[in-house]
Amino acid sequence: MPPVAAPAQILLGRRQLYLLPTRYGLLFALLLLVQLLAAINYGNGLAYALTFLLGSAAVVSMLYTQRNLLHLRLAVRCVSPVFAGETARLQIHLFNDSAVPRYGVCVMHDKTEIGCVDIPAHGHATVELGVRTAVRGWLAAPLVTLTTRFPLGLLYAWSRRVALDPACLVYPRPAGPVPFRATPPPCFEPAPGNHAGGEDFIGLREFRTGDSPRQVDWKAVARGSTWRVKQFGGGCQATIWLDWEGLGADDVEKRLSVLTYGVLEAEQQGMVYGLRLPQTTLPPANGEAHRRACLRALALFGIAT
Amino acid sequence: MNAGHRRGLSSLLLAGAMAVAPHALQLPLWVIAIFAAGALWRYLGERRAWPRPGRLGRIGLMLLILVAVFRQYHTLLGREPGLALLIALLGLKFLEARTARDDIVCLFLFYLVILGSFLYRQTLWLGAWALLAVTAGLAALIHVTQTGGLGFAARLRLAGLILVKALPLMTIVYLLFPRIGGALWGLPTDAYSGLTGMPETIQPGSIRSLSESSEIALRVVFDGAPPPLRELYWRGLVLEQTDGHSWSRLASPSIGQMAFTATAAPRRYQVILEPNNKPWMPLLGLPREAPPGARLKSDLTLVHEGPIRERLYYTLSVYLHYQTAEPGTAVRARNLQLPPRLSPRVRALAEAWRRRSHDPLQLAEMALDYFRHEHFVYTLHPPLLGEDPVDQFLFDSRRGFCEHFASAFVTLMRAAGVPSRVVVGYLGGELNPSGDYLIVRQSDAHAWAEIRVSGRGWVRVDPTAAVAPERIELGSEAVRRLEEQGVALGSLSADAVLRAVRLDWLARAVHTVRGYWDLSDLIWYRWVVDYGKDRQEQFLSALGLMDLSWSRLLGLAFSGALLPVMLYGLWWLRPRSNTDPALVLYRRFCRKLARAGVVRAPHEGPHAFAERAARRRADLAESIREITTLYETLRYGPGAPDRSSIARLKQRVAALRA
Repeated sequence: MPPVAAPAQILLGRRQLYLLPTRYGLLFALLLLVQLLAAINYGNGLAYALTFLLGSAAVVSMLYTQRNLLHLRLAVRCVSPVFAGETARLQIHLFNDSAVPRYGVCVMHDKTEIGCVDIPAHGHATVELGVRTAVRGWLAAPLVTLTTRFPLGLLYAWSRRVALDPACLVYPRPAGPVPFRATPPPCFEPAPGNHAGGEDFIGLREFRTGDSPRQVDWKAVARGSTWRVKQFGGGCQATIWLDWEGLGADDVEKRLSVLTYGVLEAEQQGMVYGLRLPQTTLPPANGEAHRRACLRALALFGIAT
Repeated sequence: MNAGHRRGLSSLLLAGAMAVAPHALQLPLWVIAIFAAGALWRYLGERRAWPRPGRLGRIGLMLLILVAVFRQYHTLLGREPGLALLIALLGLKFLEARTARDDIVCLFLFYLVILGSFLYRQTLWLGAWALLAVTAGLAALIHVTQTGGLGFAARLRLAGLILVKALPLMTIVYLLFPRIGGALWGLPTDAYSGLTGMPETIQPGSIRSLSESSEIALRVVFDGAPPPLRELYWRGLVLEQTDGHSWSRLASPSIGQMAFTATAAPRRYQVILEPNNKPWMPLLGLPREAPPGARLKSDLTLVHEGPIRERLYYTLSVYLHYQTAEPGTAVRARNLQLPPRLSPRVRALAEAWRRRSHDPLQLAEMALDYFRHEHFVYTLHPPLLGEDPVDQFLFDSRRGFCEHFASAFVTLMRAAGVPSRVVVGYLGGELNPSGDYLIVRQSDAHAWAEIRVSGRGWVRVDPTAAVAPERIELGSEAVRRLEEQGVALGSLSADAVLRAVRLDWLARAVHTVRGYWDLSDLIWYRWVVDYGKDRQEQFLSALGLMDLSWSRLLGLAFSGALLPVMLYGLWWLRPRSNTDPALVLYRRFCRKLARAGVVRAPHEGPHAFAERAARRRADLAESIREITTLYETLRYGPGAPDRSSIARLKQRVAALRA
């Protein structure tokens, strides 16, 4: 596992922890009451001692229960972005900075127990959490509670619900139809990765090593701006534009879904594709990084960042 | 059955066995056997997949247990049937257990079983065993309720740690929790048998049988130095009636206040009297007032209201030197009663003395001279005597124990016309040097005589002293040792006797250990068994807390207990400075760089800081990067940090010359 860069961390202090007896704790209290009555009735010194010893042990175990969660550090990490409707897999990391190992620390989400772990001293443990996503954008921070019944099961400690931002991107749910012609024009030479041929100027992109000097926008260089490459489309190449405007007057989310589907399809068919959104334009390209950039733009469309 | 359910089975069964074990001494064996069988069945059921009884089978077994307990005790209520039922049904509960919940309920019930064993006896041993059983019970509770991160030893350690921390808390509540006198509901009356104590009638051999027992009769703590052994005559009961064979107490106990004149200042002592199922409370000296629950009798004895069935703890203020009032005519007549068939030889001997003197003291001296000069032997192993033991002892066997001498002496005195009687009790005792108190054992039982002397009331005469002064001066233990060495009592000089009874180093060591053991037992008794309403009042007034109401005491108990817990908790759960050795070392590294002018900004991560520092101090770039990588691996890498990496990090940080 790579070192965890913990973007958002929460340290559980004493004020964030609560404590109540479990039903076994209540049963134990009943047992102590019965024992106390027996001790009083028989005037039995040892019975008094046993009753008070067990009661004191329960009180001491309170400290152990509390300490089992105290000063744990929590961080959440997104395993990978997902499409809306899928289940986002999150890793919840529990860091124990103290020299005391923690046992039976359970993570609760949405009133269900996701998993229980032991955390070694100066170590950490991980619990995986799946969150169903519904809408695109940044995944809402899941509310997580840590609980424990350590050591005797008589007491239940839990933390206040903490919201940890997983920085998890949810792409729009892909939906048809494909926003471009199903079959691209026949192509005699397969579209090269960087260099799209053709006559029609379609835009500029950053200069990359290996680009032909003929395509560099020298005028712009002369004006003092950075090196850019003129891109040409059309002709014998599978370059398409995924354009917000070309989709009719459907509602925003539907358009985004269609564009998302378009990005996936175009990438899969090895096309060179560009994305044009009202405020953003991503010039045609392809490859994993481009795909991710397009999806990110679609996911965050209209969301203040 | 899943693996999760199987967890903790061995711990559960161990805790159960430890809780039930002390009951094996009391309860019928079949009860323990049912428990053991249930445990074994459960074990095999889970380990070997043996079938368990179904619902109907369990109901059948339960009815069987109910019937068996009822047949044993003819009731299902009360202490012993209740415990038998609890333990047998726990065996059955093992078979029923389906979930962890059942196991937890079993573990809770084990604590009731442990408490039940205290109702039979409250010895130090049982207390120690119960502490172990409670530890095992807590460890089992940890095992059953927790995920499996803790091993057997770790669970035991954790349980022990919790109990150690609970002990001071328990002590505070234990001492302060208000005790009440008497019971909430009726106590059962079973189980007070097998106690030894002074017999109500004596015949040749009855005290001797006591002398075999080293059981403790009473313990005495004197205010100030204890009187010498030879003065410690503990009066138990007075025997005034004889049939020639045995001596017995009056059928109608003498009632009325004892009358006496004290001739010295009173002494105080505390007595811890062991239960003996008899009402006699051995008395040294004469008190003006009886302790609660006891009465003084006109024959100068102290008698408890009923049989003594638990340890008694009482304080007496007594006069060791006194002169009793003149007995009335009825008493004098009673104490001249002779057996119906007094042997002519005895009568002749007494009448011969009577002709020489009428003074009771001179007559007594003649009798003692007779014992001294006619080769009487005091022995722990006297021969058996027949129909007329007094005659046979005086003229034929001449070997006897204290009761032989006392009864023969009193018979002779009565035949000579002196009112006299036999007194039974204890003589001497053993001073426990470890605790500075006196231990009187059953083997110190003794019989002596009292004669009436006009003008002086009842005067004690101990005929045994004439024959075996060692018994009076050195105690019964010394006599036993002398007998074992084959030394005839009364035949050695005082020095030789002292040499003969001196213990070797091993016996001395054993003796010391026994002394300390008895002391701890005494402390245990005073603070555990006898710690009731009265003792608590004593303790509280010693603390300066007098006349506290029940509710205030309760409040004090709980606040006194919870305050330390809260303070301890605050200290224990305090935010601690981070103790991760990797972080500590990294901070040292940052301080070193800061001194060199490269200060880490609060927002800067280790990696970013390393890059910046490496640019600023290109000469150190390599070690800066290495330290940072080491640190990141230690702190965020998988698994627990290993020692060698920490050592390497430490060495690199130390070697950094910024």
